Amino acid sequence: MKTTLNWLKDYVAFDWSPEELTERLTMLGLEVEGVDRRGGDFAGVVVAQVVTREKHPNADKLSVCRVNDGKGERQIVCGAQNFQAGDKVPMILPGSALPLKEGDKEPFVIKVGKIRGVESHGMMCSSEELGIDPVSLGLKKEDGLLILDPKAAVGQPFAEYLGRGGADVVYDLEVTPNRPDFNSVIGIAREIAALTGNALKVPAATLPSGDGDIAQSLAVRIDAPDLCPRYTARLIRGVKVGPSPGWLRDRLEKVGLRSINNVVDVTNFVMLETGQPLHAFDYRLIASGGEAVPTIVVRRAVDGEKFVTLDGKEHILTSDHLLIADPVKAVALGGVMGGRNTEVSEQTTDILLETAYFKPSGIRKASKTLGLRTDASYRFERGVDPEATEQVSQRAAQLILELAGGRLVNGVIDAHPAPTEIRQITLRHDRVNALLGLTLRPEEIECYLASLGLRVVNRRPRPVDDAAVAEPITFQVPSYRVDLKREADLIEEVARLYGVDKIPSTTPRYAKGQHAFDTRYDELAEARRLLTGLGLNEAQGQTLVSKGSLRGRSADSVVLLSNPLSGDMDALRPSLVPGLMDILRHNARRKNADIGLFEVGRVFVQQNGGVREGWRLAVALTGARSAGFWSGADRDAGVDLMDLKGLLEEFLEHFGLRGLTWTRREGDAGWYVESAAIQLGGKVPLGELGQVQPRVAKSYDLRGPVYVAELDLDALLAKRNTSRGYRALPAFPAIRRDIAMWVAESITHDAVMQAVRQAKAANLEAVEIFDVFRGKNVPEGQKSVAYALIYRSAERTLTDAEVNAAHEKVVAHLKQSVGAQIRE
Amino acid sequence: MSGILDQIEPLKAAATEALRAAPDLPSLENAKGAFLGPEGRFTTLMKQMGALPREERPAAGKAFNAAKVALDAVLAECRDRLEDLAAAPKEPTDFTLPGRRRVLGRRHPLTQVTDAIVAAFRRLGFAVADGPEGEDERHCFDALNTPADHPARDSHDTFYLDTPGRPLLRTHTSSVQIRVMETQAPPIRIIVPGRVYRRDNADATHNPTFHQVEGLYVDEGVTVGDLKGTVEFVFRELMGADTKIRFRPHYFSYTEPSFEIDFSNALVRKLGKDWLEIAGCGMVHPQVFENVGYDPERWSGWAFGFGIERIAMIRYGINDIRLFYENDVRFLKQF
Repeated sequence: MKTTLNWLKDYVAFDWSPEELTERLTMLGLEVEGVDRRGGDFAGVVVAQVVTREKHPNADKLSVCRVNDGKGERQIVCGAQNFQAGDKVPMILPGSALPLKEGDKEPFVIKVGKIRGVESHGMMCSSEELGIDPVSLGLKKEDGLLILDPKAAVGQPFAEYLGRGGADVVYDLEVTPNRPDFNSVIGIAREIAALTGNALKVPAATLPSGDGDIAQSLAVRIDAPDLCPRYTARLIRGVKVGPSPGWLRDRLEKVGLRSINNVVDVTNFVMLETGQPLHAFDYRLIASGGEAVPTIVVRRAVDGEKFVTLDGKEHILTSDHLLIADPVKAVALGGVMGGRNTEVSEQTTDILLETAYFKPSGIRKASKTLGLRTDASYRFERGVDPEATEQVSQRAAQLILELAGGRLVNGVIDAHPAPTEIRQITLRHDRVNALLGLTLRPEEIECYLASLGLRVVNRRPRPVDDAAVAEPITFQVPSYRVDLKREADLIEEVARLYGVDKIPSTTPRYAKGQHAFDTRYDELAEARRLLTGLGLNEAQGQTLVSKGSLRGRSADSVVLLSNPLSGDMDALRPSLVPGLMDILRHNARRKNADIGLFEVGRVFVQQNGGVREGWRLAVALTGARSAGFWSGADRDAGVDLMDLKGLLEEFLEHFGLRGLTWTRREGDAGWYVESAAIQLGGKVPLGELGQVQPRVAKSYDLRGPVYVAELDLDALLAKRNTSRGYRALPAFPAIRRDIAMWVAESITHDAVMQAVRQAKAANLEAVEIFDVFRGKNVPEGQKSVAYALIYRSAERTLTDAEVNAAHEKVVAHLKQSVGAQIRE
Repeated sequence: MSGILDQIEPLKAAATEALRAAPDLPSLENAKGAFLGPEGRFTTLMKQMGALPREERPAAGKAFNAAKVALDAVLAECRDRLEDLAAAPKEPTDFTLPGRRRVLGRRHPLTQVTDAIVAAFRRLGFAVADGPEGEDERHCFDALNTPADHPARDSHDTFYLDTPGRPLLRTHTSSVQIRVMETQAPPIRIIVPGRVYRRDNADATHNPTFHQVEGLYVDEGVTVGDLKGTVEFVFRELMGADTKIRFRPHYFSYTEPSFEIDFSNALVRKLGKDWLEIAGCGMVHPQVFENVGYDPERWSGWAFGFGIERIAMIRYGINDIRLFYENDVRFLKQF
């Protein structure tokens, strides 16, 4: 909603500066989104009269004049020849600038100065200098000064003389949906009146008596009172449609509306003024059909009915849409837009003026389904004042008669089948204070509400006998305040007028909250801490991903958007991995080669027609293993699967998960070259890790090997064991025995470990692998592996002999069960 | 026999000199061997003590002992010095070179800001709550007093899902208010950080996915004053002690009265502004209480919500919301 400072001042007196008005409106809940100061055209140019004209003492072609600017006389040196004493001319005052013309870089500012030794205090102007066409103003084109109408008022601002607007400040206001009354200049002025205590001056409409009786010329029938509870019509005959006067054009143009003609401009002006949309039909195009007089029928459209609106667009309607029609044809989309077939044009002489109340929900539906939003529909769908139609009609009729001439047809048709209910709300003063944390007296509260037009209709005793509290009061709510429905709404009004900023803040109360997620939040935070501690950066990817990027991940159960913005974002992520790959691509394209990222986030899959949401953790590694360094043989080493696995092992152990198994998976054609399933206790699935196929990586612009893992955080958290216990530190020394052996490639580390365990060697404390080697001297199909076995007793120092005996058992078992060839 | 005693001092001096002269540890060991080794000159002289008359032996023993202690001290001192010398690199270390880093990762800036917000609220006893992102009309809109044809829905361009049971993505974290009030009895004191979704094309200030924090407090006798006090506390924790807060009347369908919150601090003034809008809030609408089965005559409460990205953008001076979701590591490493 746009309005201007001067426009508001037409309805209420206030002496706030433009900045102060901004502040006041903001603090009333009318947020000011923009303030546009308009200098006004021809600033500093006034109508002046030449009093005397004499020759310049030092120049033949110049004259020295005394000029009256309305406030006094001043001396001006002038070079023009076409004028004489007594002529009225536009004069620009020193310090003001001429309008910019094409090619001008900077405005030309008039200064006090000497011209050939004589002081000059201003400049009389030609039409060229002012950039105007004298003929269009009904003046003679002169060679020299622009000579004005002898009747021009000396001292009048030149813009005003031309009928153009002066300086003003345009406010662009954000109107919240609950306050449709703010979609009018009067509505805003009303709040200023409440705040200042100054009277609201609503222009009183007094219509002249006209000809005949409207009942002989028009009938209105409302067939859809559920969508249109009220329809008011007036007739004006013999108007002359033409351009609007300057003040009206100026008002409309300042708030961003284009002037069309005097009749349409009046309907727009009155809509802005009052908030009530109006429509003017060409009365002679309204048919009577079979009826006695031309008749307006307010009805629902027939399914499939076509209608062409003012903008030339054809709409196919349904019975949800409301039409204003005559017995033969539709003439307007009720409350949204008029029809082309009855548009007011230069030929129009008779005007049918419509002011109606349309139900917000109906208009909203129509506007949405037709994709047609107008100033009218916007106001109707938020709720206009149902009681205003007749008054607004009078105001508009009066302005049309003033600006377009014509004669009023006596009377009005005000079809109002179901009068609107008068709303009453009861307010308890103690409730106001309890909610706002204030101690307002009942009189103050009433005073605030009265200033907004609420009227006390009833005081009734409190149900409980407590002399300390005031009686509840019932207020009648003015019809334009459609937002006031219950006590809380009135409390808000009191808060606004009291000043929200003045409500004192109190020390926050401490109170213990509780929710099951509270501990979960900390667990997720802990996971993030551990992972950053392991050198990974945290990413936050998009929830919305492309279905095409999933490559078979949960393909059947992916949750799709019904109304995606684009194919890039048409599904909810069923996994964090595709999103991490997108992030790797973004980094690769920016030459960020070494990446270690994780994300903790939610994923979504369909389940029984609903959505199952789960927390996941994903990790992606690519590029160098460690931060860049300037020395060392392995400084250029890249990450590999064991980096990823080690990172996960460290994380999981610290996060409280032990007893994990890592099982190589055969085949996973969609994503991985190689991958493994991660399980807890060999059965609870926790996730996966693997190396991404080069072709998949390439599709993300990634050239080097990429490793990813994804874990089910919900499963992780469910199985987490964070209890810690102390175990006594060893009191006796350990004895180490190494085994180096060749085993077949098919023998896994796990198989070796199992074999060692099966040997049940006495006092075997720990087994650690310390070497895996293939190549030189190792037979094809075999690998060389080396383990350190640590023997220790908690009770005593072991002897070599008993360790040797135990170790022999292990060696023998390894030979037997995994076919180990022991190396010396 | 005084000859032996007379020889101790000169020999000690020679040994000291030899030890001190050793340029490195092996030379020191050699020098030590030459004097104090089994065949060393000092050892040899000491062995001659047996030839002394019995009465002279204690004095001689004492003298030998003192010399030995002194030489050991010299030896230890030389050894320490030469060990340091041996440990030092040939060329002195350039301490201006970058060290070999064990790199810590960074938490995402949105995570850090969320954690800061949560920490501030927890100091006042708030518990973190959570709810589904796939929502239904009731929890996201209807129970929040925003029925289908309500104009307030205009600002919530909603993504709909092909799952009838959960037909939309929540447009705000306020849906969790309803979920919590439906399942818990008052008093309620929660904050809800989480992802929300609006059907806006991505640009410098919009991403279809973004984060909000919702706060809800329901109890007996809760006032606007308490709301203001809490908001001021939290934003001073988050944005600095110089933060000023301003409440303006506004409209939200689920609070009445409703306010918008502006804040001001040195950062805001640096942007050339007096105030920056930061959050919305209000007293829980009695209709919302009725919708979840709370008695609005007994309970009152307040709720507020704000965008986490917005806080992070102000806090770090970030001018494009998309940076948060691109996860350029050069960006992530700055926080």
